[in-house]
Amino acid sequence: MVDESTRKTLSSIPLLKTKAGPRDKELWVQRLKEEYQSLIKYVQNNKEADNDWFRLESNKEGTKWFGKCWFIHDLLKYEFDVEFDIPVMYPTTAPEIALPELDGKTAKMYRGGKICLSDHFKPLWARNVPKFGIGHAMALGLGPWLAVEIPDLIAKGVISYKEKTG
Amino acid sequence: MADWEEIKRLAADFQKVQLSSTSQKLSERNCIEIISYLKEKKIIDLIFTVDGKEFLTPLHLIQDIRNELFVSGGRINLVELAKIIGVDLAHITTHLKDVLKGQKDIHSILGQLIDSSYITKIAGEINEKLSQQGQINISDLTIQYDLSAEFLQQQVVEKHLGKIIHGKQDSNDPRVFFTESFIARCKAKIRGALSGLTRPTPVASILNQINMSEKLFFSLYDQTCMYGSLTSRVVGAQYIPNVYARSQSEWVTNFYRQNAYLEYDALARLGISDYKSYIKKQFSNEEITFLNSCAASKRILERAEADIEECIASKSYLDLQSNLPSVFNENDIQLILESILIKQKQQQTIVIENYIISKAFIENLSKNFDELVKEKAKSVVESGKYQQYQTELQVSSTKPQKFEDVEEKIDKREERRKKAAGGKSGGGTQGRETKTKSTKKPARAKHVEVEVEFVEKKQLEIITSEDISEAVQSELEDDGLDELTLPLMQYLLPQLNEKGLELANEIYAVTVADRTANRRQTHNELQNKLNALIGDVRLFDKGLKLLPEDLQPQLQKYLLKTLCTDVVNEILNYVAAEQNLSTQSENFNNDQRLKFANDLPPDFKKPLVPLIKSLTGQSIEDFMVTVEEGLAACSMIIKKIDKKKDRTIVLNHKHVLLEQLNKCDDLALVLHLATLVIFTTVTQCMLHASGRHVAAILNFLKQYLSEEQITELTSYHDFVTLMLSGGTEAENAKEKLKEKIQVVKNIANDFKKPGTEKC
Repeated sequence: MVDESTRKTLSSIPLLKTKAGPRDKELWVQRLKEEYQSLIKYVQNNKEADNDWFRLESNKEGTKWFGKCWFIHDLLKYEFDVEFDIPVMYPTTAPEIALPELDGKTAKMYRGGKICLSDHFKPLWARNVPKFGIGHAMALGLGPWLAVEIPDLIAKGVISYKEKTG
Repeated sequence: MADWEEIKRLAADFQKVQLSSTSQKLSERNCIEIISYLKEKKIIDLIFTVDGKEFLTPLHLIQDIRNELFVSGGRINLVELAKIIGVDLAHITTHLKDVLKGQKDIHSILGQLIDSSYITKIAGEINEKLSQQGQINISDLTIQYDLSAEFLQQQVVEKHLGKIIHGKQDSNDPRVFFTESFIARCKAKIRGALSGLTRPTPVASILNQINMSEKLFFSLYDQTCMYGSLTSRVVGAQYIPNVYARSQSEWVTNFYRQNAYLEYDALARLGISDYKSYIKKQFSNEEITFLNSCAASKRILERAEADIEECIASKSYLDLQSNLPSVFNENDIQLILESILIKQKQQQTIVIENYIISKAFIENLSKNFDELVKEKAKSVVESGKYQQYQTELQVSSTKPQKFEDVEEKIDKREERRKKAAGGKSGGGTQGRETKTKSTKKPARAKHVEVEVEFVEKKQLEIITSEDISEAVQSELEDDGLDELTLPLMQYLLPQLNEKGLELANEIYAVTVADRTANRRQTHNELQNKLNALIGDVRLFDKGLKLLPEDLQPQLQKYLLKTLCTDVVNEILNYVAAEQNLSTQSENFNNDQRLKFANDLPPDFKKPLVPLIKSLTGQSIEDFMVTVEEGLAACSMIIKKIDKKKDRTIVLNHKHVLLEQLNKCDDLALVLHLATLVIFTTVTQCMLHASGRHVAAILNFLKQYLSEEQITELTSYHDFVTLMLSGGTEAENAKEKLKEKIQVVKNIANDFKKPGTEKC
């Protein structure tokens, strides 16, 4: 399953209560509100733990999310754009996080830069509907992917350090 | 739409959160790494906590220590401190000196930190305690506070003495502190206790009573006034109040003044254990004799001495027990006697148990027995027991010379005579005796001890203990001395016995002397008797010579067997008596006589043996010769032959015979006597013959008799022989003889010598 530090991080992210998708009008607002609160807490936790590793923002409706994420390897900071949409079936269906920059550079990726999540992610998510939200998806999905793939990619020389990209 | 507003606000918040700077945090690992790096470079000095998760700077540690010290009230254990701060004990000990530096009020003692506030606090406590208890000992405090005595003494008590602690330090023992009031109280207590005592009391019990330590008591004792004295300065000591000592000495002095003696027991009861030195001290100028149970003054001894003197002077006895104080026991009296009875007095007195008896008294007493002893001695001698005893002594023991002496004494008379008479010959036996004596002498000393018992057993009891005890008892009962009977008796018995023996000896000697005196008389008598007998023999011999030759030897033999034998027996009897030999020589046969003579001393043996032998010989002459020698040995003389006397003797003889004849009824004897009378008348000589010779003599007389006389006599003789031969005719003959007896008597009476008839 997930490693110890991930579990710890996960447990510190507040769970959500409302089961509603973007089409649910009123309830979506409620859901979105909870999403934000959860994310704020998660980011705060990260910052406190000196473990800040992404920046996210959404459109007005909260259906489209974009931002940046980074990974520090050998005292060098590798930064990537990140984007994903809230699916219609959300929160039953998990959002598909994509790193467009790395499209075609690794086998662990679908077309359009969507990352291949681990076998455990989907059942885990399914079991935790509607308690899991965007924060959980980031922590469970992208975090571990970066930790595994980026050092590999760097070692292969597929990606290289770019001075002050961001 | 308010919800959307809220969403917007949340989104803004989210952005704000994301944009806020992240706190620059180092991971734990990094931190440890950095610190160890820094420590390695000695850039910083840090102290690890025990769990290793925290670091302390030394300064912080020092501060912590001080804080903890303060928190815990001024006293803390280093081990505890290490636990509280969470650092190793080693760090604390290494930084201890930094803590103490410049801080004079903090002390590190026995692994503990103590600051002045704590010391002040316990000083206050100590003061409180001191004021409560009155005195305090550092050693007690060490237990209470678990601090070293030295620290308590120097840092706590002495430092605050007079400031916080109000008290005094004991000058004898610096570890003890007390308050003035306490001392005053104690003194008062001691004074009270001591002044209340009237008799010696062990210090321990005093202390028990007043509840005080011995040390304190002894240190304060000198300061309290003196009502008495202590025997020593240890716990076992006794306190003797002056009052008691005074009354004790008063009592002792008074008692001594009054009674002139002191009983040890009484002194011991008064609590004077070392009475000898006490008495010596008390009566240093008096002469006191220490006895077994008492000490006696000279006065008592003088009195006793005077008593004894008086007892000797008055020839009485003295019961020391009753004359001395009753507490004197036997040993005391023994000691007194030893000291007073000087030699001179000892000779005049006898000590039996507690009685002193003057010798004079005993002499008086024993005088009473003199008669008894004499009587007894006499009876002993008379009954022959004494002689038996003497001979027994001679026989049983050749050793005890004492008795030999006695024996010698008896023999002395004889010896003297022997010496005078026999000279050399007598000295033979005596010489040997003296010789044995001299050789025995050195051996004697050895023997005596062994034989004393033996001899004593043998000793003849002249007087028995019963005899004495009764008499003594009756004598003493009047004086109330009956308890002395036994010892006195025991004392007297041997004395009296000795006396008795002596008396017996004397009596014996006297009887012996008497006997010798008698002997002298009998000697003369015997001499006369013997002379007469020998004269008879001579005359008979003469008469016998008139008879026919063939008849002579028979008659001689008869004569020897009868009269001569008598003579010899008389002589032997005399000798036996002279020699102190008890023999009945009358019944001797010839062999016994010879044996007896052979046992005699040589001066008797020599003449007597041939004399005795001559008896068995044939001739009267031999006898006459030997008898003369024998008599000479017995210092007797044969008188010279006096013809005139011979005639009277013959006449006397004849008269005697006639008298016998006239009185006689014996049929045979009449003839015998008649024959002898006729013979004497015829021959003017005496004849000694037995009945057997009658026939022969008649034959010889035929020439002088008339026919009828002869026939009468011969027929009578025939009848006599018939009668004596027995048989059928004996009775008949007897009848005939009875008829004729007067005839024969008449013949004898009327017979006149033919010659004279003619004239």
